[in-house]
Amino acid sequence: MIEVKHLRKKFGRKTVLQDISFTAEKGEITCLIGINGVGKTTILNAIMALTPIQGGQILIDGERVSKRTFEKVAFIPDAITMLPQMRIKDAIAFMADYYHCWNQKRADEMLNFFGLKVEERIANLSKGNTAKVNLLLGLALDVDYILMDEPFSGIDIFSREQITDVFTSHLIEDRGVVITTHEIQDIEHLIDKAVLLDDGEVKMAFNVEEIRETEGKSVVDMMRQVYQR
Amino acid sequence: MKSYLKLVNFEINRFLKLYVALAAFTVIVQTAVVIIHARSYLATAKDAVTKDMIPRETFLSDYGPMSIVRAMDGWFQLPIAICIAVLLIYCFMIWYRDWFGKNTFIYRLLMLPTNRIHIYLAKATAIFFMVLGLVSLELLLLPAESKLVELMVPIDYREDYSLNGIMEAFGDLNILFPKTITEFLIHYGIGLMMVFILFTSILIERCYRLKGILYGGIYFAFALVIFLLPNIVLIFAHTNYLYPVEMFFVELLLGILVTAMSIGLSHYLLNKKIRV
Repeated sequence: MIEVKHLRKKFGRKTVLQDISFTAEKGEITCLIGINGVGKTTILNAIMALTPIQGGQILIDGERVSKRTFEKVAFIPDAITMLPQMRIKDAIAFMADYYHCWNQKRADEMLNFFGLKVEERIANLSKGNTAKVNLLLGLALDVDYILMDEPFSGIDIFSREQITDVFTSHLIEDRGVVITTHEIQDIEHLIDKAVLLDDGEVKMAFNVEEIRETEGKSVVDMMRQVYQR
Repeated sequence: MKSYLKLVNFEINRFLKLYVALAAFTVIVQTAVVIIHARSYLATAKDAVTKDMIPRETFLSDYGPMSIVRAMDGWFQLPIAICIAVLLIYCFMIWYRDWFGKNTFIYRLLMLPTNRIHIYLAKATAIFFMVLGLVSLELLLLPAESKLVELMVPIDYREDYSLNGIMEAFGDLNILFPKTITEFLIHYGIGLMMVFILFTSILIERCYRLKGILYGGIYFAFALVIFLLPNIVLIFAHTNYLYPVEMFFVELLLGILVTAMSIGLSHYLLNKKIRV
């Protein structure tokens, strides 16, 4: 389980995250929802120790973040994090070289599924294909948790569909996923848990299925309730 | 350890194209300068001896003999100066390109399942190897260029130098070519320490951004003052309290201290303060 407890984060004098607490379990898709600038990416960066925090605690299966965390949690940022001059095969070789948990079989399967050519240079890929390579580099790691930052931002509808298909496939099954988005429509039907963020706080966290069954409300209904108050 | 070595290899490969270009530039320019000098000398000698009927001995006493040292003018040293400048700039680029490149590769580096200090050590090692590589190239090139002079100029008109003699002719750049193991350890040890101090200052800037420029500058100055403390005391006290050998050991100790401080601080920054 990923536990974020009373997370506080400032940029200079500006407090971005005041008191953020939530958990993300294995086998569930947890979605961090909020408008741009609310601190969703900062939370993911903080989980991966890519930005310092001013308070609170982050635990992955009860342990603080260390180098071992990176064999347990994969982060897929909103932009690809490989050198532009690399070919797809170089990026794959790089990952296989450094990560014990790299699963080449899964990488090959995804290359096939997305129709990507390993000889292509990352710099020459379309936005959609870059997003797919980015996804591949994260999902081909045999990790328990995956963090995804705005995986649908700025890509075409067909790429979106292909990426959405990944969420319902065995590539995600049994893993814990934390995903951020400000466009919930694309993935509303996929998520298990929603965490609504505003003013640096968690305004509401709920189980999507439970809310649907008990109150007959969708995620968008709950968002209206929180954001249009 | 394995990850560290892989990272060193990766960092060297990233710079390889420019590095090979630098090496090729050095070889081409220096060889060309030697050839131009030798030909011009031969032409002058030919004119003097055959046209003006000046005796060879008189010509040699007026003009001096041709040698590799004669060819080592500003143009000859230019590639070395360019290599030094490029490597100095690369000390900054090796970090900043990971933040400011088209794709922010620093995310990937910081998320590798290895101690983050390996990234820092690998970058420093890569710079160190690149310096050693270029110096080694020059050490191979000098005897080859000397041989070239031997092939072009008849023995009566030239003076041959040993490698040590050639290196002496470099003047201030002589520091690049230590003659003893102790000199090598001092010159390159100080060089490596300076790289560590600079890398730590860069990391301070990357962690604290605008304020970090100031903090990084202060750290750089602070580390230098610690290292140079015995010399600073010497300047102000006007008396040398230490024998040269004692001075050497104090400097050695301070050098180790400053290097350890830089690595320790960078370890802390990379784990607790770094921002992508």
